[in-house]
Parts: sequence; structure tokens; C-alpha cells
Amino acid sequence: MIKLIDLTKVYKGFRAVDEINIDVKAGVIFGFLGPNGAGKTTTIKMMAGIIKPTSGKIIINGIDLAEKPSAVKQYVGYIPDRPFLYEKLSGLEFLLLIAGLYRLDHTPLFNHRILELLELFDLSDWKDELIESYSHGMKQRLVMCASLLHRPRVLIVDEPMVGLDPKAARLVKGIFKEQAGNGNTIFMSTHSLEVAQEICDEIAIIKAGQIVAKGTSEALRRKAGVDGNLEHTFLKLTEGKRLAHEKSLPAH
Amino acid sequence: MKNLYLLIKPRFFAFRNQLISSKGGKRRRIFILGGLGLAFCCGMFIVSSRVLTHFQSVEVIGDLVARYLLSMIILTFFSLLIFSHIITAVSNLYLSKDLEFCHSTPVSVEELFLSRSFYTLMDSSWMLLIFGLPVFMAYAYVYRPGAGFYFTLLHMNLAMVIIAAGAGILITMLLVYVFPAQRTKDIIMFIAILMIVALYFLFRFLRPERLANPESFFSIMEYLSALKAPQSPYLPTQWITETLWDSLTVPGGKNHMFAVTLTWVTALSMVVINVWVAQAVYIVGFSKSQEAKKRHTVGTKILDMFVRCLKKPFGENLGAIVAKDLRTFFRDNTQWSQLILLGALVVVYVYNFSVLPLDKSPIKLDFLQNELAFLNMGLAGFVLSAISARFIFTAVSAEGEAYWVISSSPLKLRQYLWGKYVYFLFPMVFLAEVLVIVTNYLLDVTRFMMFLSSITMFFMVLGIVALGIGFGALYANFKYENIAQLSVGFGGVLYMIVSSIFIAIVIVLEAGPVYILFMSDVSGKTVTAFQWFLIIASFLVVFLINTLAVFKPMKMGLKALREYEG
Repeated sequence: MIKLIDLTKVYKGFRAVDEINIDVKAGVIFGFLGPNGAGKTTTIKMMAGIIKPTSGKIIINGIDLAEKPSAVKQYVGYIPDRPFLYEKLSGLEFLLLIAGLYRLDHTPLFNHRILELLELFDLSDWKDELIESYSHGMKQRLVMCASLLHRPRVLIVDEPMVGLDPKAARLVKGIFKEQAGNGNTIFMSTHSLEVAQEICDEIAIIKAGQIVAKGTSEALRRKAGVDGNLEHTFLKLTEGKRLAHEKSLPAH
Repeated sequence: MKNLYLLIKPRFFAFRNQLISSKGGKRRRIFILGGLGLAFCCGMFIVSSRVLTHFQSVEVIGDLVARYLLSMIILTFFSLLIFSHIITAVSNLYLSKDLEFCHSTPVSVEELFLSRSFYTLMDSSWMLLIFGLPVFMAYAYVYRPGAGFYFTLLHMNLAMVIIAAGAGILITMLLVYVFPAQRTKDIIMFIAILMIVALYFLFRFLRPERLANPESFFSIMEYLSALKAPQSPYLPTQWITETLWDSLTVPGGKNHMFAVTLTWVTALSMVVINVWVAQAVYIVGFSKSQEAKKRHTVGTKILDMFVRCLKKPFGENLGAIVAKDLRTFFRDNTQWSQLILLGALVVVYVYNFSVLPLDKSPIKLDFLQNELAFLNMGLAGFVLSAISARFIFTAVSAEGEAYWVISSSPLKLRQYLWGKYVYFLFPMVFLAEVLVIVTNYLLDVTRFMMFLSSITMFFMVLGIVALGIGFGALYANFKYENIAQLSVGFGGVLYMIVSSIFIAIVIVLEAGPVYILFMSDVSGKTVTAFQWFLIIASFLVVFLINTLAVFKPMKMGLKALREYEG
């Protein structure tokens, strides 16, 4: 469903993403992990069609994003790490804007879907309030609502759990699993290793723009040669010899 | 007070780092903007010097007029400084992103307040330096005062800035304290805009140009009383004007100890009063300004109806953006209230034409009327460019950090950009035609001139809007703090220059054919074949330049948006 082929992004001589290759099948939740500044958000922004790759290809649902960006975007739902929205619109008006951009027909069935999604994300009571009065978590839920509006076959998600309370986080995890169960694909970057361990079918770890490991969490553990949870595996693969918790703060 | 310097230091560091780290394009921008500023200052100096030299040549009343002009300038600066401080104080004292951090540190309220007041003073008073210095230097150039004048100029201006800052900040603190928190910024912006419009009307309808023409007054007494009109012994501007004028004209300077003391005591008192008021109300106001905003439902039904009507012709996806833009514009009080400024601009523009003393001109009346109508196209074009710099140049950047919604959607960027173009084209064509037709009507021009002006303006607006959208996309900035500042940034200034050049070229190219046709009409001679060739060639070139002005910037803007990397 998603193919990244030799994907590269160079910013003024700095290789933020360096020839990465990833193949994600339909119905898979794919976790994209890495330390800060490793190239996760850059990769995701390229996949969402927000920035152009320096070289390489992004194929989604068999279509090259560079050749037919509008056709690809019709299948994709994007959830950014920070929910910047049009603050002077109400939640409902924002969803109608998204519906317009994706050319969704205003049938009674569609209106029902909007209300259903608002209900699902616990935003029904707030739908007529201006977004500027929403909390960070509410904005994040509204973005998720908007990303599911056009029933995307691929969801590209950057740090989905930031700002969500435990109830909303559980809801989101449930939705992702349900989406994958319906044959849709989720490509998700996260810092939360618990989330990755809990819901991701496959994981890739990126460091300094390059993929250092790829596979199921079991396969990654084997590759790192550590026992225990994904945290140990991640730290071993990204930090090398010493684990972070083994280091101590300087006394002065 | 030991923390005061620590709190002010980041501003100096930021300025220094910007200068050191700016390379290549950024440094070029600084030089271009600096060059433009310098050229503006030179222009102001030359014009002011010529005006003052002219006044000096008029016996008896020459000096009176120059003194009156000085008092008007100081009064205007003082008023503008207060408005400017009100607007800047809202950001610096209540809305800056780093304030939360500063308030969480153990610095005292007084230190924090004074450091932010200092920021406000710096941000608001650089204008005085750029606009005021060439004018004051022109006075010095014409009146040749001693070194004492420069010292007086320096310290009296400093005192004036402190008094204006004190007044502006005090008004802001009280407004924030009194009004509901979520509306503070909107209300202050609205009040400031209304005050600017009132001042603008007051200044314009006083018709200061009459002072240069004493014949327009019935008697010398009426004229002299007009010269004394806005003075009051209780205004600091009066003390400053008196001190400056005497140090300009009286050799060795007159002793103005009382006025100087009064000015400085007022300035220092303002600082003390502000600190007292800040101790009482600043923290309460800051806390209120942090509260979440609420939806205001006033006029929602009317807005919905308006939006439904206007978005219809744009189709589904562009219609959704039009609806979003309209709602955002009319819900943001800082945006729509600028329409009041726009209205004031148009009224004064038309008013200027209604008071032109055409009958006193030594040039033949119908020739002058048509000549003015021709120049009017250029002036109207310039006014439209200025409006476009504020509303159209910023149209793409107005998406703000929510631009990802557009760029990740299936909407084609080409469609998005041309949609914005069409959205702004209709109101701009309407405004342009109203400006030109009404002023031409007041000038009582010939039918040919009326027709030519209307058609030229129509085509010129196609270019002005495209330049606005194109340059706006080329210099898009989605991470602004205040969108109005974008139009006076590098891209905005560049847009104004290019747009002005475009208007000038069109006017110059049309001048020849219009002159030929007008003269043949006046003299009754027929236009020769060669003259027809010149006329057609000129209009063809105008058409080509218009086409270029529409498509080239749009293409450049589209390319820039496609390559935008955040």
C-alpha cells in the first residue's frame, strides 16, 4: 500500500532523510520510531505531499505521489504533530471545509457521518464553538475527526498521542486497530514506545536519516540482542553501547 | 532592579545575532530595505527643505507658518506615538509568547513591566526617527541654528517619546483591566483604528494646504487665528514646540528652563505613575488575557447567508476556502476593522478632488481636467496597490500555520492560487472603478477620458491583484505574529515597488496616444497614419505588459508554493 523508494531529503547540504526504503502492506499499523531530529517528521511531511523529496519515490496505492499528487491525497488522511487550525472557524465549519477540499457530497448520509465522528471524538457539544477556544487535546481530536472524514485508505500520523488524555489515547488506539482491521494502512511516527509495542504490527527505526532496523518488535529485539521491552531495543539500536538509564546526571 | 538588565538583554542579543547570522539573500534584503529607507529620508529632507525655504521667502507670515507647521508635526508625531504605543503594548505586555516563561521566574512585577515598557518604547518610536529626523534636519538646514538646537532636539524628543509611551501604556493597562479579557486585543485595535481615522479626517478637513495660500482667508486676523488653532499651554507638545522653535531661531537660544523642566518632570512622572498602576493592575490584566476565548455569536446568521451567496460561483473545493476566508475575516476584529481605514482613505481621496482649485489655475481648464484625470489613474493605481499590499499580498500567508490543511489536501495549488485571485479581483475592480468614475465625474472630464480611465483601470487591476497574489506566494510567511507587519516587510515593500513601476509604465505608455488624440480633438486636425500606428503600438505594448503582470507573478508564486518547505 505504501512504498518509499530511496527517499531522500537534503536541506542545504544536510541529509535529513537518506535513501530510505520502506514497504508497508495494506491493513498494517506501521510504527516509525527514532530519536529527536532523526528525520521522522520530514519523511511524514514528504508522504503527506507537504514537502518535496530531493530524490526517490513515494508510491501510495500504486500511484506515484510526484506524478499525481491530487489523486494520491484523495486516499490519504494526514494528522500532523501539532494541530494548527483555522482558529476563527467552529469545529463543524472546519469539518465542512475539509469536506469541500475533498469534494465530499453534502448528502444526509454524509451529514450523519460528520455528527457520528464528532460524537466518537467527544466533540459534539463543542461543534459550534470557535476552535480558538479548544484545548490542545480537543484540537488534536478535531484533526483526527477531519482526517477520517473522507474514509482514507492510508492514514499518515505524526505523534498521535501528544496532548491526548488517557481516555482519548485509548480511543485513538482503538480506532487505528479498527482501521487496520478494515484493510486500511496506518503509518505512524511516535515517541511512545508503549504505544508502538501495543498496536504496531511492524516497526522501523530511523537514526540520522537512515533506517537502522525494520521488522516486527520481536525481530528488532533479536537484532538488538536484548531482552525485555521495546524501550531497551530502541535505546540499544539508537544509542549503541550504553543505555540511557545507565547514565547519571552530573552532580554539579 | 538587578534583573531589569537581564530581562532587556535578550532583545539586544536577538538583534545582534540577526545581524551576525544574516548571510547572502537575507543580508541583501537588509541592504535593499536600508537603501529604500535612506532614499525615503533624503526625499523627505528635500521636500521639507523646499517647503520651508518657500515659507521663509514670504514676508511677515513666513516664520509664523513654519512655526505652525512645526507644532502640527510635533502634535501629529505625539498622537501617532501614543497610538503606536497602545498597539505595541498589547503585544509586549500581554500577548508575547515568552511572557508565560518570564512570569514564572522570580523577577518582580516592576522589573518585568519596565523591561516590557522598554521593548514597547523601542518598537514604537523608531518611526519617529525615520519620519522625523529628515524634517527636523530640514528645519536646521533652513534656519542654521547653533549646536544647542541639536542637543535640545535630542533630549526633548526623548522626553516626548517617554511621555507618549507612558500615556499609551497607561491607556492599554486600563483598557485590559476594564474590558472582558477575551476581547481585549480586538477592542484595543478597534479603538486605535477609530482614533487614527478620526485624526486623519480632522487633519484632512482642516485643509492645511490653505495655510500656504493666505488669499483663501477673508482677513489677516482670520489667517493668524487659524495659525494658532490647536495650541494649548497644557500640552507637552506646546512646551516642546516652543523650546525647539526658540533654539532654532533665537541666536544662542532663549532660556526655556521652565518648559524643559515641565517636559522632563512630566516624562519622569509618567514612568512613576505607570509603575504604580502596574503594581495594582498589570498582573490581573495579564491573567485575564491568558483566559481562553469564547465564541461570539453576534451576526452569525447574516454572515452565513453572505458566505453562502459568495461561495456559490467558486464550486465545491474553492467555495470551501472562500467560506473559510470570509468567516475568518469578519470574525477577526483586527481584520475587518481595517475596512474603516480603507473607507476613510477612499473618502479623503474623493474629497481631495472635490476641493481642487481648478478655476484658479493658469492652464486651460478642460486640458487641466483631462490631464488630472490621466494622473488620477496613476494615483488610484497607487492607492489600490497600497490596499492590495495589506489585504491581497497577505492572502496566502493568512493561512498561517494551518497551511498544511491546504498543502495536504487534494486541491491543486494552481487552482488554489487562481481561486484567491478571482476572490480578490471583483471587490478590487469595483473599488477601482468607483474611485476613477467618481473623481472623473468631479473633474467633469470628457467622455473619451472617462472611457479610457475606466478601461485602463480595469486592466491595471488585473495586474495589481495578480502581482499581490504572486508576490504574496513568493514571499509567503506562515509563521507570523502580526499579519499586518508582513505588508511592510521585504516582500511587501518589493511588491509595492514592482506594482508602482507597473502602474508608471502603463501611464507613460498611454500618455503619448492620449496627448495625440486630445490635441487633435482640440485643434480639429485629423490624426495621421503614423500617429495611429504609434497609438496602436502603445496600446498593444500596454496589453502585453498587463498580460505579463498577470501571468508572470502567478507562475512565480505557484512555483514558490510548490517548493515551500516550511
